[in-house]
Amino acid sequence: MPKRVLIVDDAVFMRNMIRDIFSSGGYEVVGEAAHGIEAIEKYRTLKPDLTTMDIVMPYKSGIEATREIVRGDPKAVVVICSALGQESLVMEAIEAGAADFIVKPFRAEDVLTVVKKVLGETPKV
Amino acid sequence: MSRYLGLFVAEASEHLEALGRDLVSLEGTPTAETVDSLFRHAHSVKGMSASMGLEPIAQLAHRVEDLVDVARRVPGSLGRERVDLLLLATDTMLALVRGTGEGNAPAQQPELLGKLSEAVVALTGQQPRPTKVAQVDPLTPGPAAPLAARRFEIRFRILPAAQSPGPRAFLVYKKLTAIGSVTNLRPSLEDLRAGSIPDGKVALVLETDGGLEPVRTALGLVPEVELTSAEALVETAANPPAAAPAPTAESARTVRVRTELLDDFLEMAGELLLATARLRDIGRHFPEHGRPVLDEGVDRLHSLVKDLHGKVMGARMTPVAVVTDQLPRAARDLARKRGKDVEVTVTGAEIEIDRAILDAIAEPLLHVLRNAVDHGIETPEVRVSAGKPARGQLHISVRRTRERVVVELEDDGRGMDPEKLRASAVARGRLSAEAAARLSPREALLLACLPGVSTANDVDDVSGRGVGMDAVKRSVESLGGALELDSQPGRGTRVTLRLPLTVAVVQLLLVRAGGEVLGLPITKVLGAVELPEGALQRSPSADLLSYGQQLVPAHDLARLLELPPGPPPRTRPWVVMEAEEGTVALGVEALLGQEEAVLKALSRPLDRVAGLAGVTILGNGRPVFILDVPRLLA
Repeated sequence: MPKRVLIVDDAVFMRNMIRDIFSSGGYEVVGEAAHGIEAIEKYRTLKPDLTTMDIVMPYKSGIEATREIVRGDPKAVVVICSALGQESLVMEAIEAGAADFIVKPFRAEDVLTVVKKVLGETPKV
Repeated sequence: MSRYLGLFVAEASEHLEALGRDLVSLEGTPTAETVDSLFRHAHSVKGMSASMGLEPIAQLAHRVEDLVDVARRVPGSLGRERVDLLLLATDTMLALVRGTGEGNAPAQQPELLGKLSEAVVALTGQQPRPTKVAQVDPLTPGPAAPLAARRFEIRFRILPAAQSPGPRAFLVYKKLTAIGSVTNLRPSLEDLRAGSIPDGKVALVLETDGGLEPVRTALGLVPEVELTSAEALVETAANPPAAAPAPTAESARTVRVRTELLDDFLEMAGELLLATARLRDIGRHFPEHGRPVLDEGVDRLHSLVKDLHGKVMGARMTPVAVVTDQLPRAARDLARKRGKDVEVTVTGAEIEIDRAILDAIAEPLLHVLRNAVDHGIETPEVRVSAGKPARGQLHISVRRTRERVVVELEDDGRGMDPEKLRASAVARGRLSAEAAARLSPREALLLACLPGVSTANDVDDVSGRGVGMDAVKRSVESLGGALELDSQPGRGTRVTLRLPLTVAVVQLLLVRAGGEVLGLPITKVLGAVELPEGALQRSPSADLLSYGQQLVPAHDLARLLELPPGPPPRTRPWVVMEAEEGTVALGVEALLGQEEAVLKALSRPLDRVAGLAGVTILGNGRPVFILDVPRLLA
């Protein structure tokens, strides 16, 4: 059964791009959210195996959303989508419980490498 | 084992202090992280004291660990009495550990142990397991027993392709701290976070009971990272630890310095700044041809001294947590005594502030907290009948603004009534009825800071809210800060401490008024305009000056200071400044220029003069008073 993914980003363009990357990698995108509050709600109902999370979003930041998602489900796998120069925000997100992060601009193969690794789909070293 | 004793006392005390701090959160809704860390602290103390052969401590720690484990599995299952018991056990262990350091063997604690065991039985339905303790005598020297391999040296490498090495390394660090406690981190956590990792290589010592498997698993899930080595560190008598393991991750590269030494450094760096300014001034009297060389030298010296000063200031910065970490426990203990229920939350404790300021606000802050619990928060019955949740909330928030640190302590208690304060101040002869009536509600709240003025309904209640608030206000103001009170009867009270970030260097605008040279802090200056005499708009209450889009109240500085006015000029400069109640303009005789000055506090009797913030010595050796404009106008 393919792993189920929730995509959180306030830009439609980015959501589409990330969706294509995951579809090409054989994952099932089960939902999308445009801001932190929607992310928390969709996470609860969809229980995805992996959530990609933009940091800067309206209503509730990705960091806050990550914190709440992980609080509700300590096993949640949240991967932060960051940009170069957002290092300190990324570290905040890690403090908040993010499992990993990817750095924009994305290359499909890099994203899939990270995701496979985080989900434990690559053999251990 | 005695060789490890000092280390044991230091480490066990740290764990126990942290345990005491975190236990308080068990009554509220602790994060999973807090509960895990509680468990780890108890577990560490158990392990340490067991290997030291200190049975009474190990047994207590074991029971505490059992109870925390229950809370870990069923959040909120402990309840108040059991948290009390855990706190008592923690305090007892701390006393026993410290006693051990002084050569006293810890005494058995049958009663406490009995209560803890009862609690374990009541919650789990099972008898607690016996505590295994090493058969060693900790207080007399002897051959050290080999310790089990619990410490591992871990080395990993961030692959060169990683785009953000800092966060990458930080992620690994976080995952490892979830497994055990990390020490001897190289590079330091600070460098790690900044991404300054030579060749991507990171090394650390991990202390864990779980062996290496969890480490391999955790690292296996992190991309762009390669585990290069993981070795057990076995400590035996023949192979003692080369150095004491560092208590925190960063301390591998830090040293402890007495705070007085930092004070001396700051003082000296300040004097150096003054001496440099003096040198520059002397240079002005040199013959023309010699000056450029001297100026160049002085410039270089100045920039070096300024750097030095900045570094010294930086070294003095300390996280506010040092003070705020104590507050939840203090509030809880007091609340218990008063039959109240309070939850304390703290945000922004990581913000740093000068050590001297932190030391000076520790007591006042505790005082404000006590007041809030004593007089603000109501008993659960009163709260419930007022339609509030039974448990009172106390929120302490620390935030940084441009050049200040703002500490706010907000409670949702009964609040203060400005009308009652007015009446009380008048009744006690502190204020005339007219003066009281003129105060805004917010100003009236500050009457609580006058000794003897209290809102307590009960006349027998001598410890009204006012007791001590005057002292709090004075300490905050003597630091160059400000105290504000906001309150809504029935809704709660907010006490705001606005504090300067650092003591020390201020940028001054030097002006002449009444023939005197005076300094105005440039951070408060919005601008300056030169206007012909008579350009002011007169209104019955004040003169007004038009500045930008607004009309600003204008004052003659010489007159404010009761200095003889200078000769009437045709045009005069006005300095527009921020004051407490908005913007003001101050008329002066001349603007003399900018100067960087080391602020020196005034000593008696000058500290009593309202409107003086301090004094500094200019390059020419002349003392100049620095004005505290808001208080000058008050």
